[in-house]
Amino acid sequence: MKQPNAQVETVSAGLTRRNMLRGSVAVLGGAFITAALASCTPAFAQQVQQLKFWHLLSGGDGIKMNALVQTVDAENPEFRATQSVLAWGTPYYTKLAMASVGGRAPDVAIMHVTRVAGYAPGGLLDPWDRKILAEEGVTEDSFLPRVFEKGVIDGELFSVALDTHPFIMMYNTEIADQAGVLGPDGLMQQIDSPEQFLEVASKIQQVTGKFGISYGYLGDGAQMWRLFYTFYAQQGAGMVLEPGKPAEVDMDAAVKALEFIRTMLDGTIASASGDYATAISEFIGGGSGILLTGVWELPTMQNAEIPFDAAPIPTLFGTPATYADSHTFVLPHQNDPDEAKRRDVYTFVAGILKNSISWAEAGHIPAYLPIVDSPDYEALLPQSHYAQAAENVVFDPVAWFSGSGSDFQNYFLQYVQDVFRGNQDPHEGMQAFVDRLDVLLSRPNPLAPADAN
Amino acid sequence: MTTAAQLNRRTAALDGLAKPAKTPLSSKRRDSLHGWAFAAPFVIAFLLFLIWPVIFGFYQSLTSQSITGANSELIGFANYAEAFGDVEMWRSLGNTLWFTVLSTIPLVVVALVLALLVNLGLPGQWLWRLSFFMPFLLASTVVSLFWVWMYNPQLGLINDILSTFGLPAVDWLQDQNTAMIAIVIATVWWTAGFNFLLYLAALQNIPEQQYEAAALDGAGKWRQLFSITIPNLAPTTILILILQVLASLKVFDQIYQMTAGGPGGSTRSIVEYVYETGFTAYRLGYASAVAYVFFALIIIVSLIQLRISARKGAS
Amino acid sequence: MTQTLTPPASSDTPPRIISARPRRKPFRPSSVVAVVILAVLAIIWLLPFAWAFVTSLKSETDAGAVPVTWFPEGGFSFDAYTKVLTEGNIPQWAFNSILTSVVITVITVVISALAGYAFSRIDFTGKKVLFFVIIASIIVPPQMLIVPLFYQMLAFDMIDTYWGIILPQIIAPAMVFILKKFFDQVPIELEEAARVDGASRLRVFTQIVLPLSRPILAAVSIFVFIAAWNNFLWPFIVVNDSSLMTLPVGLQTIESAFGVQYAQNMASAILAALPLIIVFLFFQRQIIKGVATTGFGGQ
Repeated sequence: MKQPNAQVETVSAGLTRRNMLRGSVAVLGGAFITAALASCTPAFAQQVQQLKFWHLLSGGDGIKMNALVQTVDAENPEFRATQSVLAWGTPYYTKLAMASVGGRAPDVAIMHVTRVAGYAPGGLLDPWDRKILAEEGVTEDSFLPRVFEKGVIDGELFSVALDTHPFIMMYNTEIADQAGVLGPDGLMQQIDSPEQFLEVASKIQQVTGKFGISYGYLGDGAQMWRLFYTFYAQQGAGMVLEPGKPAEVDMDAAVKALEFIRTMLDGTIASASGDYATAISEFIGGGSGILLTGVWELPTMQNAEIPFDAAPIPTLFGTPATYADSHTFVLPHQNDPDEAKRRDVYTFVAGILKNSISWAEAGHIPAYLPIVDSPDYEALLPQSHYAQAAENVVFDPVAWFSGSGSDFQNYFLQYVQDVFRGNQDPHEGMQAFVDRLDVLLSRPNPLAPADAN
Repeated sequence: MTTAAQLNRRTAALDGLAKPAKTPLSSKRRDSLHGWAFAAPFVIAFLLFLIWPVIFGFYQSLTSQSITGANSELIGFANYAEAFGDVEMWRSLGNTLWFTVLSTIPLVVVALVLALLVNLGLPGQWLWRLSFFMPFLLASTVVSLFWVWMYNPQLGLINDILSTFGLPAVDWLQDQNTAMIAIVIATVWWTAGFNFLLYLAALQNIPEQQYEAAALDGAGKWRQLFSITIPNLAPTTILILILQVLASLKVFDQIYQMTAGGPGGSTRSIVEYVYETGFTAYRLGYASAVAYVFFALIIIVSLIQLRISARKGAS
Repeated sequence: MTQTLTPPASSDTPPRIISARPRRKPFRPSSVVAVVILAVLAIIWLLPFAWAFVTSLKSETDAGAVPVTWFPEGGFSFDAYTKVLTEGNIPQWAFNSILTSVVITVITVVISALAGYAFSRIDFTGKKVLFFVIIASIIVPPQMLIVPLFYQMLAFDMIDTYWGIILPQIIAPAMVFILKKFFDQVPIELEEAARVDGASRLRVFTQIVLPLSRPILAAVSIFVFIAAWNNFLWPFIVVNDSSLMTLPVGLQTIESAFGVQYAQNMASAILAALPLIIVFLFFQRQIIKGVATTGFGGQ
């Protein structure tokens, strides 16, 4: 490779480049030696079973989950769970499906219960063995019936619930107090109608001088869907998505819910076009008194050290209902599962459930009843103030394409965002969304074997 | 490269290794055997990992196959019919063409300007070359990490620089009006260095005499640039244009990494649409049909390019 | 399609390597302006690197602080690097990248050189058709093959394996073409002499042709290596298990459980970028030549 010209070049290029070379080689060399040593040490120490655990929890949730995993690892020295965290939503579920199809999937993974219906029929998930779960102290009685049943498809148990995480209402107690909207018990007064909700919000707005309510939705289909579906379900309306048939949607209820959301997003009661992060900082900064959000933002508020409390979303349209989803444990399909490892997975999952009081600290309502019924949980505030929401939760309509982080929510964003922004007629936007659902329903579940359709 | 003396030494060394010829095969048949034997490893891999996927992909496009292999019935050209009526497919195709137009022009012009400036012969040649070419050596992921950070609305350097000039902050990657432009800027930064090198090589091949003759005729520097340099670079420019257009049509990495096709699908490229329909929506059959629409686009563009460059060559 | 493969300069004359010292011209006021413009452009080009590097040396608090500053309150430290190297998967990913890129390079260069030699030197039945098919295949964009190749890898049970990453990346028709062109220029007399003396084809190839081809082999190897090292789409499709990911895929796919950490993100990016940049500093000349002579059609 040495050629005469190369020599000339090195000389003419001078010392600066050589110095740069030396410097960078030193940095890189040092870095990789450190790395090599660092990566060697644990490899020596481990004769234990490695459980590959995938999830999509980051931020506050990720920190709590990491601590939980370490607690369970410490209780069970025979195995060690290694976590892979993937980006929430589509990237995670795409990779999980590809890994399951490939047959070398992780040993255990977190999945939203609303996605299980899309995964299980295609053979992407392996069922749980209820007998082994029972050996670990996890039975049907350990969960609320509707939470447990969500994991059962065709008689087989495909998912074991870790939590329920509803959409809730957080409020700044100081601001609410000044606005005079608290009840005698110091909690938010009972709100029963849309008018009353707007009235409360206006009173709060007069205190903050900015907004009454913070709600971020811009570019976020999941967030839009959570609020919409709550108000839709509160009217007693259901949504049925059955393949081969048009979507059964109560158009009147949908329009009513959308119209109410538009009334709310008028630029005074709530910002007309807030995004998720802006809404959070608005509420923290005292720019509003109410935040419509998921329970998982609880640690954020606690860290911000503002005076706040939380409650279920008030029942504005007669029927108590709140959008929720649930994190569950699933066994992604493996072509050739290692039985000993599988057994350890049961111990691992049971261990997490039994320690899930710390998961409750992240805001989620634990699914494992012995935890919910414990005095420890009762004492946890404001968690116990919204725990009753778990009894009235509505999950996404079941379909292979629905659920958290699914295309369904992306379509809702695409067709209905302009309705939220006030640029489109609610009926028109909703109809476009329903038309899209009809197209999806006209196709078979691509994952399911033909005879299952 | 290698001197004649070296070659002689090598052949001399080989004399010792040589064995007497003993094959009874006719030399033609033997050549055929040898030829295939030499080509075999490549040809086998070529058939397995290129030709077969091309054929199988077309077959898949005629089925309703899913990622699990379920529903693999032949459905004729139904996937193609669906694709031609699919608004999202057309939108992705449009985005791809728009990206190609937006990126190709600066990737040629910027590269040319950089090469002309560096070719002036200023000191520190290696440093200039390093500065402009180094980004080309980065993986797309690294480029995306750098630029997502540069574009960060609150913490990014770009909005910070804008604010020192009293300009408002821009949501570069979150705003439909700026997302594609932001991706193009990052792409130009990343790959202009490659075209820059091609131009630099071409510039140094222009015979010095042409400039000397022009100088004698009293042509100034600018005059020389337009009457000698640019015309001499024409073949390189055509080459760069051809390569660049094809490369831009295949864009996926940086778009997927920086915006994942958003906001609202405004930056989704056709390759990303293949990925999403195939792996996120599980429909391998339909994704294959979209992939073949993409292939048809590549073939059409290549044929047009071939026609144009053939005509240029003829005249 | 052959037009798109060959740089105009190299089809009849060997390509001129960019010389280290272009023609020096006397300095003039216009040159001063040029220097200033060039310096400004170079600064713009280096800015993303500099900004990433400075961020990587900050604490997470300083990296996330508004307003933005080049000089953090907490000073500079290598903490982010220590963190990503000891807690993250970067060492594993770097190992995977090196392993797969080296294997891909070796296999690609060997099989392409053998095939290129056959097309250049040996008359065999079907040669013309085969060569035409190989050249024509350069038009096939690898991106369109992700779907059938994924399915094929399922059939071979190679999803989430190193071979799954490697095998589809070993075919480089453009490299066969470039090597054939090169072999065409090697004087045939030497080989004929050796053949007359009874040396086998393989022996002639390994003992005479390959040693003469070192520069082009180096150029092709460098190009193939860079392409494999930086390839994103295929490894991204075929690998889901984080312990098998290459650097570009891992950095994109795996998140920190602790939320967005800007300094660590940038430290990871810098670490992933450094190996090729250092290789470039050492072999600048060969790489530039390699890219200029083999880059065509490789995209």
